[in-house]
Amino acid sequence: MKRLALTDLSLKVWAVIVFAFLFAPIAVIIIYSFNEGRLLVAWNEFGFGSFAAIVTKPAITDAVMVSIQTGFVAALIATALGTMAGVALARRAGKWAAPFLLLLVLVTVTPEIVDAVSLLPWMVFLGQDLGLSIFDNGLVRLVVGHSLFATAVVAYIVRSRLVGIDESLEEAAADLYAPPFKRFTQITLPLVMPAVLAGGLLSFTLSLDNTIVSAFVQVSGSTPWPVYVLSAVRTGLRPEIAAVSTIMLLLTLLALGLVAYVLRRAGDSATDIAKTVGGG
Amino acid sequence: MTTLTERQSASSPKAPRRRPRWMKLPSFALAIPAWAWLFAFFVAPVALVVWFSFGYKPGIFGTHANDVLSFDRYAEALSPTFFATFQNTLWVGVVGTLICLAISIPFAYWLAFKAPVSRRGILLAMVMIPFWTNFLVRTIGWQIILAPSGVLSEALQSIGALDEPLEILFTRTAVLIGVVYNYLPLMILPMFVAFDRVALPMREASKDLGAGRWSTLFNVTLPLAKPGIVVGILLVYIPLMGDYITATVLGGAKGNMAGQMVANQFQTAQNWALGSAMAVVLVLTILTTVAIAALISWLAAWPLRANQKLVLGDKS
Amino acid sequence: MSHENPVRILASTAATKVMKSELNRRRFLALSGTTAGAALLAACSPQSGTGSSPQATGGALEGGLSVYSWGDYDDPDLVNEFTADLGPNVTFDSFNSNEELISKLVAARGTSGYDIVVPTGPFLPQMIENGLLSPLNLDLIPNIKHVDPAFLGRDWDPNNEYSISKAWGTTGFVYDKTKITRELTSWKDFIDAAQNEASGKTSVLDDPAPLLGIYYWANGIDWNTTDEADLAAAEEFLTTQLAPHLSAFDSYPGGAAIPQAQQILMQCWNGDARLGIMESDEPERWQWVLGSPDTELWMDNWAIAEGATNPEAAHAFINYVLTPEAAVRQLDYTGYQTGTSGIEDLARDAELEMLDLVFFDEETIKTMHTQTISEAQQRIVEIWDKTKVAAGS
Repeated sequence: MKRLALTDLSLKVWAVIVFAFLFAPIAVIIIYSFNEGRLLVAWNEFGFGSFAAIVTKPAITDAVMVSIQTGFVAALIATALGTMAGVALARRAGKWAAPFLLLLVLVTVTPEIVDAVSLLPWMVFLGQDLGLSIFDNGLVRLVVGHSLFATAVVAYIVRSRLVGIDESLEEAAADLYAPPFKRFTQITLPLVMPAVLAGGLLSFTLSLDNTIVSAFVQVSGSTPWPVYVLSAVRTGLRPEIAAVSTIMLLLTLLALGLVAYVLRRAGDSATDIAKTVGGG
Repeated sequence: MTTLTERQSASSPKAPRRRPRWMKLPSFALAIPAWAWLFAFFVAPVALVVWFSFGYKPGIFGTHANDVLSFDRYAEALSPTFFATFQNTLWVGVVGTLICLAISIPFAYWLAFKAPVSRRGILLAMVMIPFWTNFLVRTIGWQIILAPSGVLSEALQSIGALDEPLEILFTRTAVLIGVVYNYLPLMILPMFVAFDRVALPMREASKDLGAGRWSTLFNVTLPLAKPGIVVGILLVYIPLMGDYITATVLGGAKGNMAGQMVANQFQTAQNWALGSAMAVVLVLTILTTVAIAALISWLAAWPLRANQKLVLGDKS
Repeated sequence: MSHENPVRILASTAATKVMKSELNRRRFLALSGTTAGAALLAACSPQSGTGSSPQATGGALEGGLSVYSWGDYDDPDLVNEFTADLGPNVTFDSFNSNEELISKLVAARGTSGYDIVVPTGPFLPQMIENGLLSPLNLDLIPNIKHVDPAFLGRDWDPNNEYSISKAWGTTGFVYDKTKITRELTSWKDFIDAAQNEASGKTSVLDDPAPLLGIYYWANGIDWNTTDEADLAAAEEFLTTQLAPHLSAFDSYPGGAAIPQAQQILMQCWNGDARLGIMESDEPERWQWVLGSPDTELWMDNWAIAEGATNPEAAHAFINYVLTPEAAVRQLDYTGYQTGTSGIEDLARDAELEMLDLVFFDEETIKTMHTQTISEAQQRIVEIWDKTKVAAGS
């Protein structure tokens, strides 16, 4: 029994260490967002100057806005396409399913840099040679680039959620002469809703962090936040960047709290959400 | 349940007849939009890159030409100079993934089995929170911590663990810390889900069989949680192999990854043919290593498989 | 620089698929003839641009402006005043080398979204030939009158149709005097220190030509050599003798590496060195050394990218920063001489700091050489690429 307690204790200590590891750089960034120096990494003195500076630098707020807009639209597209694909895979898998799954796997295993170098010439080809000027638009390029991996991920999540649920409800609806579209929106969709939400959230998160594809396909003027940061890394980061990160973190925590509250009222626990995100 | 299932099998063949003709969609109809989207923006552009990889760079301002096709760019991409970078990338990818695995298994186990149930949601959310800070900013956070005049260096010196400032930035160790940090949550999450799912059968199994703690872990829990562990490994390994930004920020010249090499060809050298060949080699490297790992784990699981069957049988 | 070089290169690129209009080809012919070419060039100049971009005509300024330039290359306060005075919000993005700038513009084919770009002189003829730049409307840049005639009409753009001198500078290195106690004075010393005291703590510019320069200048070889034996020797030296000691490829050590004391020895441009030393807590710790016996002299130029969506704002910005007052502030911030007439007197009158890193006497300037772009360019980039790879393994 004593040995058991010891293992439990060491597991607990390990968990604390892991959390410390996870939060160390975040804590540093929050502290350094109050740095009054010119450079983020060289601590000068405490102050709120960096937060004030955000207001005077429209490029920063613009970049954050571009990222949020892109994330939203990309998540919407990925969720729509991925949900339909996931439902089809779980419910109507036929001969087509194997090659389609292979495609999804290929999308997932292709590293971002490969997507990046292939998308830029392609977008330029579509925009300049085929005259589809919509692809000269920076936001469109970003949305397309961010939606690929996310579509595959949403499809996986939705599929694995549906596979775990008996098809009987949908069949019952079919027996009651519900037309397919209605069956989809009224039965299947509510069933997969947690997976859809989780997939959407994940797509949004992935999009917010997407740097490599963004750096290649972006059109200056609609530069997303990570690319702005990447560019700033070269010449020395300013404390404003940490200040924006601190604000964004606070907003995310607020949004998370809100989501958790809503979900709790709806009867879903946070663990369930996390499980759904994790493919459960 | 049984009645429904029976009715389902009875009614299924009839279903198409009931629908009006225009609604008779083929079974893959719902997947068509995703097919089309991925074809237009993944298959086509990647195919273009594969095509470029058989060409050559025609001059200073020419990025690629395909009038003469050859495998020469592949030979170039695999020449000793560049091959070394693929080796490094593979090393960082494999070691980084293994470290993530070593950190995550006890942690996810604790979260799924030992952490107070009421706080599990919050704890899981805490694992994800770092993810909502831009990954470059997080990496810069590490740069501050690891700097010779940084927090860690001074802390270690003050407790006497180090005599000199910490010289870890711009080494491969820094690269490993960075990539492990950035991809760790992707490993923990699916692993937690997997452990959580096997919690019940595992408890019953160990109770029934009276198995020892460690043997339960290795013979029951881990094999059952395998799907989640595999997902976690893939989620970490694949993006890690392509990432070069974390490595460059923390590793400087020592953080040269295959992704950086590909990016250089497109961003500076303007040699799209060579860059494309390198990109294809990178994808093939990832696919091959994943296939090899799958094969190894499949072979290694032979002895375990018998146990697993036993446990599942017991449960029902 | 002679006109011979661009012609030779262009002949080899004529086969490329890079976009080229008929007008472009005419310009190519125009440039290949020497003096007659200049006349022809003048005759068909403003209309002969590749034409898809809206030309600035002096209309209302757009609301934004995007500048793709070298890092930390403009005084942020000055830029803020430009926005306050004239309206457009300016965003900056930086590149490490001319090659990177050109790659971006070539790949994006007019959709990069950048309005102003800042290439180095010798790269201009090829960029113009390949339709990467849009002609300037000099009527909208009256402040060009403040530019010293010596900086106008350079052979890379004889009539300043596409470019106006922005700043010039040179290459050297900075070292940490607390770690390297002997005195370093030349590129030979740089190499020696990199292989000894500063091994594993040395950074070089992330720019192909100055990287090869370290070897050439140290060994008395012409920086612009096209001899394959020289190139092979440089490759051998850089990948096997220098690369193992390098810890970073950083074009802007002044941005973070010097203030944060990340490295011991750093190759850098003079203005960036000045910026970094001024930012450091311990400026006395750092020693700047101008590369010797020979080193680089580069001149960067304002230009407007083909496909610029804010041409009016771009012209207004270039005009805004060309006044002598603006030039002094730019010099104070960036640490590079501008082409403004009498800039040295203005700067000395204003008693700016560390001017020994900004102004050089005649004798010293004679040891600085301008890069020429030759058919060796591709090899140079390849050697840079291999050095990077070698340093990482």
